Amino acid sequence: MKAWWIGALFGTTLAMAQAPPDLGSGGVWLPRNVSDIAGKIDPPFLDWAKQRFLENHASKQNDTASRCLPPGVPRIMFQARPFEIVQTGNRILFIYEGGAHVWRQVWMDGRAHPKNPNPNWLGHSTGKWDAETLLVDSVGFNDKTWLDDMGHPHTEQLHVTERFTRTSPAAMKYEVTIDDPRAYARTWTTSSTLTFKRGERLGEDICLDKLSK
Amino acid sequence: MFRRVLAGIALALTACFAQQNPPLAKDPGAFLPPAPAGRGRAPKQVAGPTPHLADGRPDFGGNGAWYPGFNGNVAEPTWKGVKSADKHVDVPWLPWTLATFNERVNNLSKDDPEAKCLPVGVPRFMFDPYPFQMIQTRDQVVFVFEGDNYLWRIVNIDPAMKHPKNLKPAWLGDSVGHYEGDTLVVDVTGFNGLAWLDQAGHATSNRLHLTERYTRADSLTLKYEVTIDDPGAYLAPWTASNTVRWRPGMELMESICQENEKSSVHMIGTPDAHPADASKAGASKK
Repeated sequence: MKAWWIGALFGTTLAMAQAPPDLGSGGVWLPRNVSDIAGKIDPPFLDWAKQRFLENHASKQNDTASRCLPPGVPRIMFQARPFEIVQTGNRILFIYEGGAHVWRQVWMDGRAHPKNPNPNWLGHSTGKWDAETLLVDSVGFNDKTWLDDMGHPHTEQLHVTERFTRTSPAAMKYEVTIDDPRAYARTWTTSSTLTFKRGERLGEDICLDKLSK
Repeated sequence: MFRRVLAGIALALTACFAQQNPPLAKDPGAFLPPAPAGRGRAPKQVAGPTPHLADGRPDFGGNGAWYPGFNGNVAEPTWKGVKSADKHVDVPWLPWTLATFNERVNNLSKDDPEAKCLPVGVPRFMFDPYPFQMIQTRDQVVFVFEGDNYLWRIVNIDPAMKHPKNLKPAWLGDSVGHYEGDTLVVDVTGFNGLAWLDQAGHATSNRLHLTERYTRADSLTLKYEVTIDDPGAYLAPWTASNTVRWRPGMELMESICQENEKSSVHMIGTPDAHPADASKAGASKK
């Protein structure tokens, strides 16, 4: 007689087991502000990249983000401005309050990167689940952004691998591997922690408003 | 009695405005000569019924994107030689908005915030040639746009339609919405008064309050209706509308207006310098 609700419960449990982890409906994520993503790591610079890094760091004049251009990846994940993750059928969207009011899409439908991507600010991203972790693979970047506020440079060969793991309702582990054979001799990995702000919403912040005043 | 007196005053005032108002600026004409008929047309798609999500809400998404095309004037069915809004509206101008509109049309919209890579705002993105997508979650509708600086807009679903208090003035305002049958109704307020309603130059004030109605009439058609209630800019609320087509299979590309932006300083707004106007410049200047 009550078999229907046992069935319903079983069905729901099964559906929950199959559904991907919820990466943050009902709130926003706040990254930590990290101006030097290398931190204690000594990035395996190629000579020109070391030179460029020192120049960038000294002058700050090449920082396109200061002219309201998108900060790029992974820098946008190390700036203390909230963002929202929207999970849909074939995509995961990252909606950013900071950094020029942009969004980013991660294709989850199994597609490959385009063979010859048009280099752009946020790259071309594909993703897949590794158990509870979202793995995002991105290529197709232009060479106009910095990896962080300090000025770590990269080329169009940049290939970024990001790992998002929600370790608790309030926290997400973020790990990123930088692979750019034209700028660094080996890949290098850094990480951060994001904090969930339940019930909070994104505001509007138009970078160009401040530039024109 | 008192009401009649008020009505009389209102009528007199309206008549007064009608007499004092300068004529509305004329359509500046087509950008380009018309293309030969039939060239570059996509094959005609066959529309299916309105799609729905599993829980019965209308589905504004799918594999494709909405593309309004260029609709330069929210109150005219044609503008600059192409189809514009769905219908003509007699706009209930305040003197300053009429003067501003005329100035903007006559100087070829040289001060258009969109040309400076600032957000187009609401409702203009429903009249602008940038594709967009609507992503529906349980408690939000997220609009993502290819155009401008690749921006986004979030509508929070709330049957009580309540805005947060003390809104910070914004280009896109604060949006709350709910579903009425197959229609998404969105209430928007908290504007900064800087956005134009369209490329022609209908102005807004920071008292702008919009009611938007999105209806997916069939699989390929989005009916859009917006009521513009802005006592700082118009005598009475008025309603503009547009029909937006679905482009099956279209995906949004990254488009960053601010990249190498060097154009806006060169916009001088001299009609005589406009090639399409060169032949008529003499005729209109007397």
